[in-house]
Amino acid sequence: MKSREQEYKEIFIAEALEYFDALNRHISTLEKQPDDEQTLAEIFRLLHNMKANSKAIGYLQISDVSHKLETAFSLIRNKELAFSDEVVTVLFDGIDLLGELITNIDSNQEAEPDPVLLRNLDIIVENLSDSAIELAKVQKYNTSKNLSLSDLVYIQIKKLDHLMNLVGELMIDRDRILSISKDMGNEELKTVSSHLYRITEDLQYSVMDARLVNIGSLFNKFPRIVRDIAAAEKKEVDLALIGQNIQIDRNILQIMTDSLLHLVRNAVTHGLETPAEREKKGKPRIGQLTLSAKSDRENVLIELADDGKGMDFKLIKRTAVERHLVTADAAEALTETEVLSFLFEPGFSTAKEVTEFSGRGVGLDVVKNAIDSIGGRLMVKSEKGKGTTFTMQLPTSIAVKGALLFEVDEIFYAIPLIHTEQVIALDKDELHEVGDVMIADLKGEAITVVYLHELLNTDEAEMRLGDKNRLKGQVQNIVVVSYNNRKLGLIVDKLYRQQDIVVKPMSKPLDRIDLYGGVTLLGTGKVCLVLDVPATTRYFMNKRQAQEHA
Amino acid sequence: MKRILIVDDSFYMRTLLKNMLSDAGYEVVGEAPNGQTALELAKETKPDLITLDVILPDNTGLDVLKGIKAEQPDMKVIIVSAVGQEVIVNEAMEYGAKSYIVKPFSEEKVLEVVSKVLAED
Repeated sequence: MKSREQEYKEIFIAEALEYFDALNRHISTLEKQPDDEQTLAEIFRLLHNMKANSKAIGYLQISDVSHKLETAFSLIRNKELAFSDEVVTVLFDGIDLLGELITNIDSNQEAEPDPVLLRNLDIIVENLSDSAIELAKVQKYNTSKNLSLSDLVYIQIKKLDHLMNLVGELMIDRDRILSISKDMGNEELKTVSSHLYRITEDLQYSVMDARLVNIGSLFNKFPRIVRDIAAAEKKEVDLALIGQNIQIDRNILQIMTDSLLHLVRNAVTHGLETPAEREKKGKPRIGQLTLSAKSDRENVLIELADDGKGMDFKLIKRTAVERHLVTADAAEALTETEVLSFLFEPGFSTAKEVTEFSGRGVGLDVVKNAIDSIGGRLMVKSEKGKGTTFTMQLPTSIAVKGALLFEVDEIFYAIPLIHTEQVIALDKDELHEVGDVMIADLKGEAITVVYLHELLNTDEAEMRLGDKNRLKGQVQNIVVVSYNNRKLGLIVDKLYRQQDIVVKPMSKPLDRIDLYGGVTLLGTGKVCLVLDVPATTRYFMNKRQAQEHA
Repeated sequence: MKRILIVDDSFYMRTLLKNMLSDAGYEVVGEAPNGQTALELAKETKPDLITLDVILPDNTGLDVLKGIKAEQPDMKVIIVSAVGQEVIVNEAMEYGAKSYIVKPFSEEKVLEVVSKVLAED
């Protein structure tokens, strides 16, 4: 519950700063028109709220100062205090002090209010008759005060996007300079370029950091949403939120907002049973929904778990067979993971009824595509009668990705690390020709492997994906990628290093080749194609089918 | 599920109240930051209960109370005020407010008053 407190604090500060600005505006108006009833009422209202809010949240200094100012203004309103120059100055100072206290909430600075100022406020509030002289006397203390601005700035995400793009360009040039300086062997240039490297890296992380927001800003919207759907569906649902303090890139959060909403709706309408059904099964009446987030260095994991009925594997198989995605015989042999991956096929839906919240037709493929588009992964686990868990693995940044570099037919490629499972070197003899494909046995798991050169560069008529004779050399480097619960081994010619790359969109007309997520420039100045794993996997499945039919 | 309309000009206060009420299983059907919106939402959402702040930017809470009562005489209204506004609270009770809550309020106090008022006929 700590993060709800954080949210309260943020709301309090944002609103208090708004009040502070409005107070400054109104008191300036009042200086010119001291009798303006409306302005006085507005100032009174703002101070009143500031007092009540700060008292509620426990910022007692702010509530104390607001209270004194509120009292002063009510005296002015009741004509018991003249709006004289001396009084105006003290009130301005008082409002400035409020601003200072508000902005200091977040900076952990111990703000000790100026005792002279507090005394001045007391003098006004207690309406001491001969106070004018005293006020004038102590005013000197405050004339040397500096102009203070808020430590917080609001910034348009567009500006941060631009900044991130510039950092990307800089990273490419940095790598280029580093590479050139190594070639030239100039020591001085080497020192400067390695310094440049570190600074750019710092800059990259700073800009990425500036784009982070708390995932709670999205999570905290769900209790209300879940309640509404549950009410409409006559379900009883308890939603637990975990990890609201985890931070994530704002644009990534934006893109996956609809996906998460979709999954939550599905969980309540289709996943969880009605209270009566649950009781019959010996489960607690109230369905449990857990939305959690955690992060490691590279990724943010968002998990949505329900303790509902779980996926109906038989129904999914039947639907898949009906839709000719698999033959009835093959369907029987599929593992549960393989069965679940049908859920992400375009338009795949087993829902029998259309409800207000989860209509039929908009399937999980929409969610899958949204997550693919930002280079993330969607995974699902389900147990009949026990519930379903969706896991979204999201990158921390869209623009910069950790990637594995390799070479096929003298062209450089990169694969985002989020999709790579492992890298392995196997002897050609350990690859088996099965049907039209090659299979490798990796620790007891049979994995389809494909020679990328054959897949990418050979004409369809000539393509022989299952032919070992097309391979070069004896030892094969295999990058195992994973997409939609399917693993695929990609045989490459040469493996290079892991590296952070800046993915740039392809320019027209190349942007129509959807096998590539974009390009990046290597330090050597060479262009490197970024392989889109989802697209490559789909491309492979199509080619394989074409071969079977040939 | 009992439906509640929150009237308060402070976003912070509305959020506090909304979370307290939602957590306790009430449905918050609307939030009004001023008197005009309060009157419109009261008519539109026909809640079971309204929490009403006494100082609003466009209108006094008392005027809003009168406006609501003129349209829906049986509407249950709880006044939310701060210390020092006892006079207004007393007047509001005369105009038909059911009870009141004083800021800063505790969750227990809010829920106690709300459930008591909702239980009345």
